[in-house]
Amino acid sequence: MNKPENTTSGSVRTVDLVQKGLARRYKAEKRFRRMGLCAISFSLLCLAVLFISIFGSGYSAFQQTVIELDIVLDPSGLNPNNLAGADFNGLVKTALYNMFPEVKDRGEKKKLLSLLSSGAAYKLADFVKAHPDRIGKALSLWVPADDDVDMLMKGHINRNLPETERRLNDQQISWIEALEEQGKIKKKFNTTFFTAGDSREPELAGIWGATCGSFYTLVITLILSFPIGVAAAVYLEEFAPKNRFTDIIEVNINNLAAVPSIVFGLLGLAVFLNFFELPRSSSLVGGLVLTLMTLPTIIIAGRAALKSVPPSIREAALGVGASKTQMVAHHVLPLAMPGMLTGTIIGMARALGETAPLLMIGMVAFIVDIPGGFTDPSTALPVQIFLWADSPERGFMEKTSAAIMVLLVFLVIMNSAAVYLRKKYEKRW
Amino acid sequence: MKKLLLSVLSLVFIAGVGNVGAESRDYISIVGSSTVYPFSTVVAENFGKTTKFKTPKIESTGSGGGHKLFGAGVGVQHPDITNSSRRIQKSEVETAMKNGINEIVEIKIGYDGIVIANSKKAKQFNLTRKDIFLALAANVPNPDGTPTVVPNPYKTWKDVNPELPAMAIEVLGPPPTSGTRDAFVELVMETGGKKFEFIKAMEKADGKQFKSICHTVREDGPYIEAGENDNLIVQKLDANPNALGIFGFSFLDQNADKLQGSVVEGVAPVFEAIADGSYPVSRPLFFYVKKAHVDQIPGIREYLKEFTSEKAWGDEGYLTDKGLIPMPAAERKKYSDIANNLTPLNASDL
Amino acid sequence: MTPTYILIILLLLSTAGYYLGRRRALAVVEGTGGPKVLHSRPVYYGALTALWCAVPTLFIFSFWLVCESTVITDMVLSKLPETIQSLPADRLNLVMNDIKNLVNGNIVSGEENADLQAAADYYQYLRSLSQGALFVLISVICIGAVSILQNRIRPELRARNHVERVIYYILIACSVLAIFTTIGIVLSVLYESIRFFKIIPVQDFLFGLKWSPQTAIRADQVGSSGAFGAIPVFIGTLLVSAIAMIVAVPVGLMSAIYLSEYANRKFRAYAKPLLEILAGIPTVVYGFFAALVVAPVIRDSGALMGLDISSESAMAAGLVMGVMIIPFVSSLSDDVINAVPQALRDGALSLGSTQSETIRHIVLPAALPGIVGGVLLAVSRAIGETMIVVMAAGLSANLTLNPLKTVTTVTVQIVTLLVGDQEFDSPKTLAAFALGLLLFVVTLILNVIALYVVRKYREQYE
Repeated sequence: MNKPENTTSGSVRTVDLVQKGLARRYKAEKRFRRMGLCAISFSLLCLAVLFISIFGSGYSAFQQTVIELDIVLDPSGLNPNNLAGADFNGLVKTALYNMFPEVKDRGEKKKLLSLLSSGAAYKLADFVKAHPDRIGKALSLWVPADDDVDMLMKGHINRNLPETERRLNDQQISWIEALEEQGKIKKKFNTTFFTAGDSREPELAGIWGATCGSFYTLVITLILSFPIGVAAAVYLEEFAPKNRFTDIIEVNINNLAAVPSIVFGLLGLAVFLNFFELPRSSSLVGGLVLTLMTLPTIIIAGRAALKSVPPSIREAALGVGASKTQMVAHHVLPLAMPGMLTGTIIGMARALGETAPLLMIGMVAFIVDIPGGFTDPSTALPVQIFLWADSPERGFMEKTSAAIMVLLVFLVIMNSAAVYLRKKYEKRW
Repeated sequence: MKKLLLSVLSLVFIAGVGNVGAESRDYISIVGSSTVYPFSTVVAENFGKTTKFKTPKIESTGSGGGHKLFGAGVGVQHPDITNSSRRIQKSEVETAMKNGINEIVEIKIGYDGIVIANSKKAKQFNLTRKDIFLALAANVPNPDGTPTVVPNPYKTWKDVNPELPAMAIEVLGPPPTSGTRDAFVELVMETGGKKFEFIKAMEKADGKQFKSICHTVREDGPYIEAGENDNLIVQKLDANPNALGIFGFSFLDQNADKLQGSVVEGVAPVFEAIADGSYPVSRPLFFYVKKAHVDQIPGIREYLKEFTSEKAWGDEGYLTDKGLIPMPAAERKKYSDIANNLTPLNASDL
Repeated sequence: MTPTYILIILLLLSTAGYYLGRRRALAVVEGTGGPKVLHSRPVYYGALTALWCAVPTLFIFSFWLVCESTVITDMVLSKLPETIQSLPADRLNLVMNDIKNLVNGNIVSGEENADLQAAADYYQYLRSLSQGALFVLISVICIGAVSILQNRIRPELRARNHVERVIYYILIACSVLAIFTTIGIVLSVLYESIRFFKIIPVQDFLFGLKWSPQTAIRADQVGSSGAFGAIPVFIGTLLVSAIAMIVAVPVGLMSAIYLSEYANRKFRAYAKPLLEILAGIPTVVYGFFAALVVAPVIRDSGALMGLDISSESAMAAGLVMGVMIIPFVSSLSDDVINAVPQALRDGALSLGSTQSETIRHIVLPAALPGIVGGVLLAVSRAIGETMIVVMAAGLSANLTLNPLKTVTTVTVQIVTLLVGDQEFDSPKTLAAFALGLLLFVVTLILNVIALYVVRKYREQYE
């Protein structure tokens, strides 16, 4: 091009050369673009498939089967001052037997009783505690049904199978059908799932304890890992002299990213539990371990973001007399923020979904009480999912999927926050 | 901005650490086997809901990890109880003694049946322990009848026993780190191996070789180590009708519509058959209590009482609903007495 | 007066120090030319005052809290009756727990006991005394610091340099944390690893071709082959990670290119966070998906083609893991591609290259260091991933590079060995620590190589 004499002397002109290749190049362009689109559609498709499969098996957990009982709160057994000693179980039993007066045999009675959840008596107890004025009166109360009944009502148990292959026998199903006819059994929105802690009865199990545990753990992780990660990235990228020491740090950080998460659990066990004697199973320790685990991710992403800020910005800032710290804090850091946030979000998302390191520090546990602080024993959402996925009861299967959905909601919220922040900061030169 | 973040950071961190000194434990801490976990959690939940005490915290760490934590010492930071799917070992008791735990109370809670099952879409298997041994051992007696062992040549069930279907051997089972595997090897493979005279003779003459023949499971493909998640095995079996799986009875009980238990030695794995001992493959489950912690950590005595009550571990108790096979009444009496009197374990009994 | 309140007061005092310092700085130069006479901008004088308040008090605060509980415990124990005091130390620890339960109003183990109640009251008294003292101490230090600085603040005080030096040290401390983590990890696995190597010789572990932990004790083993050979486990890890990278790198990179170069702003704003959700789905979910959906599909399609594919193939685990780590590649690459100056693109486009040529020849090389960082991170994640492989790839250690066969990975083995039912001090459990250590060393070596390669390449580019 810059030697026009060549083109004039030869028979071929540049413009012809360009023209000749143009069709091919445009085709390549189209192909490239289509490849990009394919890649992104593939990823989104995977996401959609995962979402649909989770939602498909989990949505039914948001409903719960309840049975209506007509209970007479006999004042003889209920002393308003000592409700803890009252026999609520007996009241529930009587109410149920009254609905089916034809059941006399002891074995049959037991079968009948097994339609109700063991939570029915607790539900009644809570009601009476809240309304002591109702003692002596009759009331009708919706109490949770057993998980097998729940599964049957939701169609997860096939009524047409031979009797020996069902958890419910023919007689129990006939009772349920009788209840259905009377309108005394129905499905309602499952509030227990969102308000209760863990339980070994699927119909009483809830996600709230694990959600609180995850929240406390992530608060610690975020508060520690984001500033430390950003600070480390800034130091390594902007301030650190290029010497052996910084090389060691850099290799170290890259290496820590590849350490399997369960090894961080071993570290937590040795350092935080055995050396510092922090309380076992607490979200504080969980948060610290997850901080160490996510730090490398955040540092590496942060450094990549800092690297991508053009040197001209730095030179301009230094040129007008800013100190190095000022240049970083006022110019480089804001520009690198979107990338840093991306790294943090990915890191936090990983921390939110991680089970293995929590195993070693005692968070893979059965904890019924809702944790109230950083040092209370707690589990986390992925742990809850892991434990439920390993439970024999069929009812836990939909609970597992539902818990995953709750976890995903958390994730979507976190990502939306990142989108907002990124939009605020993102710049293109 | 950064200064603000840094100050919040120190706030939370130090507030968290700062309160640690005043922390105290008023709940029972339990660790141990993932097999006992489903049972002890039910008891713990009932205990928490019916008494003034808090619900115990139960970690699922595996029996080995549980004994390690349990034996680390006396004190509030150490667990009070460990669940175990096998008996405590002498070395573990010794470690505990060394760390100041002089008295350990052993409670046996019942039995766990180990079943071999496959999908309902295929035919039910009728196996003997000899068949299972021949199908799964790494080395089997030479098919030509000489008293030597050769690497397992069998590919299909029909090769093992002409009465079995001509299906490729594919068994999903627990890994060697699992107590279920240990019990399976001992109860099935060892007995199966003893059906051969020369192997039986070996037991007396050369115990080590006997064990290595009977306890080594083949690793050339037909036996697939499938991890500890029994639900996953159940679902894999449902998706693959050609495979058999080895897992705990409670999973078969819950999935009776999808899976069928194979008949072993003519007995099907149903609750009654396991309970009366006619089904040959079941193993005891235990938990161990640190006596020094009783009366110091609130609720241990009451928890033991709940666990050893008839409404929990009795023939009609709620633990049987969860798949635990109860002990005979006399044995239950023995262990509830131990729980009441806190009779410590005698190390020489092991 | 709990520690949390003291901490809040401390922060309030520091904030007050900040405003006082700034006001003082402005007051000093009042009438002599205003803020421009100052060496640093007024905020730096404020920040310096705040640092003087916060740094020493924070140290004292944490030190105090660490010592407080030990001192109070000792004092309370010394007041207890002789019978209790004669108990061994670990039993005393339990008694102390009871006393603390009383103090905190928790459930206690037995019935009311006058001695314990007295001890609890004494404990409470000591604790409020100590915290009152701490409060006074911290306030005095803060006020002292502020008044000293009020006198020191002059126009020529180089406040900015002081503040910046403190920030510099904080930054160094943050990055050195990585080294401490490494040391911590090595120390926490080293002891058990050494015990393992006392039982199993190092060379058997490093170069053994057979991994079969089912026979625990050497004397029990059949034949002489070492059953704790790590090579098949590591080959399995590499195989699964390689499959994952074959999925993740092209898909991730092309997604990133499309998002940053072709997609409009709106599409990008939604698609990118959606992709990031892939990285956050709990790995248990992926594991179930791989084991129950992908693996049977692969097995059945293999059967159609006459291939014998195991239902726990490395392929299923690798593919699903690849999907999971797509965002690691795509999001980070997208950010760095986006940060390539527009001038470079404009230059290439104005010379007549098509958009894809610009991307391939100009943008990607410019963004390469960042992309490599993202890919390395993705590789790390693939190596360290556990649950997917546990569920989909199984535990059988085959020494093979065939992706259709069953393999096992280091992480799977570590998890299974650690949570097993076997005795914790047996070589089976100890092997988990040795595997962890070896994985650590191997990735360290890989990273050192990567560092040199990347650096060499970058120098050529610049």
